[in-house]
Amino acid sequence: MAFLRSVATTTAIAASALPAAFALSSLSSSSSSSPSQSFRFLKAQNLSFLSSTPSLNPNRSCLATNSPSAIRMDAPTSEQKPSHQSDAALRELLTEYMVDMKCEGCVNSVKNKLQTVDGVKSVEVDLNSQVVRILGSTPVKTMTEALEQTGRKARLIGQGIPEDFLVSAAVAEFKGPDIFGVVRLAQVNMELARIEANFSGLPPGKHGWSINEFGDVTEGAASTGKVFNPSKEEANEPLGDLGTLDTDENGNAFFSGVKEKLRVADLIGRSLVVYGTADKSDSGIKAAVIARSAGVGENYKKLCTCDGTTIWEATGNDFVTSKV
Amino acid sequence: MQAALAAMAAHTLMLSTYSSPTLFSQIQSPNSHPLPHSSFHGLSVKLPLKSQFQSMSLAAAHKPLTVVAATKKAVAVLKGNSSVEGVVTLSQEDDGPTTVNVRITGLTPGPHGFHLHEYGDTTNGCISTGPHFNPKNLTHGAPEDEIRHAGDLGNIVANANGVAEATIVDNQIPLTGPNAVIGRALVVHELEDDLGKGGHELSLSTGNAGGRLACGVVGLTPV
Repeated sequence: MAFLRSVATTTAIAASALPAAFALSSLSSSSSSSPSQSFRFLKAQNLSFLSSTPSLNPNRSCLATNSPSAIRMDAPTSEQKPSHQSDAALRELLTEYMVDMKCEGCVNSVKNKLQTVDGVKSVEVDLNSQVVRILGSTPVKTMTEALEQTGRKARLIGQGIPEDFLVSAAVAEFKGPDIFGVVRLAQVNMELARIEANFSGLPPGKHGWSINEFGDVTEGAASTGKVFNPSKEEANEPLGDLGTLDTDENGNAFFSGVKEKLRVADLIGRSLVVYGTADKSDSGIKAAVIARSAGVGENYKKLCTCDGTTIWEATGNDFVTSKV
Repeated sequence: MQAALAAMAAHTLMLSTYSSPTLFSQIQSPNSHPLPHSSFHGLSVKLPLKSQFQSMSLAAAHKPLTVVAATKKAVAVLKGNSSVEGVVTLSQEDDGPTTVNVRITGLTPGPHGFHLHEYGDTTNGCISTGPHFNPKNLTHGAPEDEIRHAGDLGNIVANANGVAEATIVDNQIPLTGPNAVIGRALVVHELEDDLGKGGHELSLSTGNAGGRLACGVVGLTPV
């Protein structure tokens, strides 16, 4: 099987080399003068074909990794030590927003605002499609807040990097009635995934949290199985163990960090579980299925055709009574 | 060895781009058609080069290589902001069709559109779930139609008590591989899906099934 996989991956590399190179070159020219060209590429149907290779081959990556399954919190914002610089570069990711912009002036104000945000490396804006694409290591929460500070509506529409990942982004949504939250997972490279979590309504204090093997929430967290552990060696700390979430006295928790060896494609259909205790000695207080979400350039849908809702009206409230 | 390697590569490629059941079944009997081209007749002109390559390589291999055979299971818990809720279980034996067992309560009596969307992400409501899951890029249709979205599962019918129970058997919603339904969203709609035949401007995209009542992400279950 491993042999078969490597054959498949080699084919994929050859096939995707050209568009990947194009994507990177289009990325570096972050001008808004000829945006349609670079955007069109990502919309092209053949990209999704190329990205549907059956496996991610760990041998392809040559990144130096220390402490295999460690999860790392992002450095406190505003001060990134020089020693972390190469580390930060490895964590860069493209995040796409649809932003309610109507004029060139809007484009400039959005760009100028984002360029002041810590961790943002480059910004690409297409006024026609109202798409803003940001390269950097900044948490989604920070970027969303910055965009909202420009007085415009902004909706995250895709995350990932333009490479041949089977799945580059995933989301787990906790929809109440007491605990609300959104956890986003995005593939940064073959060996690293970014995790960002926002919760409200949690009991204050420390909560263990993990990725569990099943996405069966028919009995809540109790039916999600054990912590996801692909290594099969009981001695190892399970890959799915995410440590603890610190919740403030108002019940809010925020986490932004990266985890090595985590592949988003392997997590689809599993679950994200929050426990009542720090050591996960209980059976879990809330679970959500890890869902596929759009990668960069995969979903430019602006209108829900079934009920006519536009993206600016859309919220997760469609399916729940209230939300974070 | 080289031939075997090519066959393996072709097979893997085929799994990843598995898009046409009719093509698949044709090329599974290479012996009756020693020249793969002849079995396609005029049709082969329309096929992309890739497909022809696959068929020729597979003809060289005597039997298709199968990846681990087993029963696979999945489940989705559907919830909404109304009283509509339910559980949908899916199972698939080997590479056979997927059986979908639906039980949804709180509906108005009658038919309701039932679809699988590309993404399971509802952070921006219906928009972040993307369109109906449609890897073949076709228009909306009925589950039994050839021209349909893979995610077009037709209608489920609620009884006088508002309970819809259905068993759907479908070939286009596998539980593994690139077109797997795992992690995507199942949505039950307010109105009947006209199966692409209603003549409304939305018929060929959504079946004009109205707003969404409940949805759930398909998750893995223990086998």
